[in-house]
Amino acid sequence: MTKLDFERPIIQRINAGLPSKYGMSHRLEPLSHIDGTPIKDLIGEFGSPLFVLSESTIRKTYKEAHRAFSSRYPNVKFAWSYKTNYLNAVCNVFHQEGAWAEVVSGFEYDKAIANGVPGELILFNGPDKSTEDLQKAIRNNSLIHIDHFDELYEIIHLSKEMTERPKVAIRVNMDTGIYPKWDRFGFNYENGEAWDALNRIMANKNLDLMGLHTHIGTYMMSVEAYRIAAGKLADLAIKLERKHGHVLKYIDMGGGFASKNTLRGAYYPGTDTAPSFDDFAEAITSVLMSSDIKPDHLPMLILETGRAMIDDAGYLVGTVIANKRLADGRRATILDAGVNLLFTAFWYEHDVRPVQPVSDQTEDTTLYGPLCMNIDVIRGNVMFPLLKKGDQYVIKRVGAYNNTQWMQFITLRPNVVMLDSKGNPHLIRKREVLETINSQEVMPEHLKQFKL
Amino acid sequence: MVKIKKNIAISDSGFVFDPGSGDSYSLNPSGLEIVQLIKSGKDFSAILEAVTEKYEVDSDSFERYYYDFIATLAQLHLTDPDGKE
Ligand SMILES: Cc1ncc(COP(=O)(O)O)c(C=O)c1O
Repeated sequence: MTKLDFERPIIQRINAGLPSKYGMSHRLEPLSHIDGTPIKDLIGEFGSPLFVLSESTIRKTYKEAHRAFSSRYPNVKFAWSYKTNYLNAVCNVFHQEGAWAEVVSGFEYDKAIANGVPGELILFNGPDKSTEDLQKAIRNNSLIHIDHFDELYEIIHLSKEMTERPKVAIRVNMDTGIYPKWDRFGFNYENGEAWDALNRIMANKNLDLMGLHTHIGTYMMSVEAYRIAAGKLADLAIKLERKHGHVLKYIDMGGGFASKNTLRGAYYPGTDTAPSFDDFAEAITSVLMSSDIKPDHLPMLILETGRAMIDDAGYLVGTVIANKRLADGRRATILDAGVNLLFTAFWYEHDVRPVQPVSDQTEDTTLYGPLCMNIDVIRGNVMFPLLKKGDQYVIKRVGAYNNTQWMQFITLRPNVVMLDSKGNPHLIRKREVLETINSQEVMPEHLKQFKL
Repeated sequence: MVKIKKNIAISDSGFVFDPGSGDSYSLNPSGLEIVQLIKSGKDFSAILEAVTEKYEVDSDSFERYYYDFIATLAQLHLTDPDGKE
């Protein structure tokens, strides 16, 4: 006789008339497969925890974003924001789709070059470009987005020593009605600093002014802010043409579109609140198209969309280590992946699902990671099914910023696989081993020996 | 032996009502089954035997779930404080 499945016994208080946060209690549907491949098999082959990236989802999202903009504007380019996920396989999917590279450090710059991105298709952002970085970028005709006057003067200085002409844009910060204002980066629009910087570049005979750049914030839920930003950059473009007869090659609106993740403390889920690519595209392109820029001088529109482009394609799958009861009676479930791997747990209420079928029974649960620290919370107070030790879970929408901001803390980073369009897994980053870490360390001679 | 308080009402569907506090609770099916076994006077080893015979669960895991469950019942004041295992 085959035995029945056993579920942990539980008892829960019934709170009559108290609807849950989203009005109705909702059942957490298990997620057993990604792109048709059983999660159980992936964990069996590649270990637990495991990052899984879906190539089809990346391509589908890219095409959706590209269509939203290119169906409204004549000349659109996306540049893949390396910091959002710079695993080379991920970058190359975007490059195959036609995206340029957007980098913010010498390391990311070299990564893009090593991936085979032509230098002139790399946008170099950020406040931290060393002299060597700038020389390299000038030599390769990369697009240098100047962040501050010190950098502008350094580029002017380098231009006198080098034969190549630096191709530059400036980063503009501005009031778009959102708080907090991102005024740390670039030149300010309202106080005239940006216009001043543009005039100094135009006055210099060695620099080629290619475009204007802004990045107004991240996880932006307001399309209105983009409308305002596009209007201000269009203004600068018009003034440049009027005063200097200079026509810009591009306007770069940066990144910042909200992904479908739910922010911590948000009342409604991100799947309901995030504007669509069409919404953002409509706001930005309608302003540019109706501006005073002459139709045949409309600059290329560049976007550096990060999280909204890749979040959906990433999954973190793993195994329940243990269940515990907290002092106040609530359930604590300990997962084998913590905030060391899931940095975005600090921002988001991630959608965590069981892999195997579960009953309708749920319990007020806090999901902890395996680290020995209080902050290691993947989800606080979530109505969660009763998973047992050894059961598997999957965390959705983890494609952005986790594979770049993860920490090698206490444990080693696990394998990352990408599922190709047929759902076949390809290992794209090997799990770290002790040697990975130790190979970077050097032991001074006098510390090599000890007796205990 | 653990005892469920006499005045606690438990329905066949797992609905639990504590007339002392006015609180109501719901048991999942396995919780209900165990509570019914306790009420029928079975001790842990008898319950263990009944459950492992019927369900796919090893005795170590069941022991953990069982005592965790009993601790919850005690926290909710549904068991008799004098009843000892
Ligand atoms: C200059 C720049 N571009 C693009 C991005 C990508 O932003 P997001 O992931 O919010 O789309 C960032 C992120 O901080 C950035 O600093």
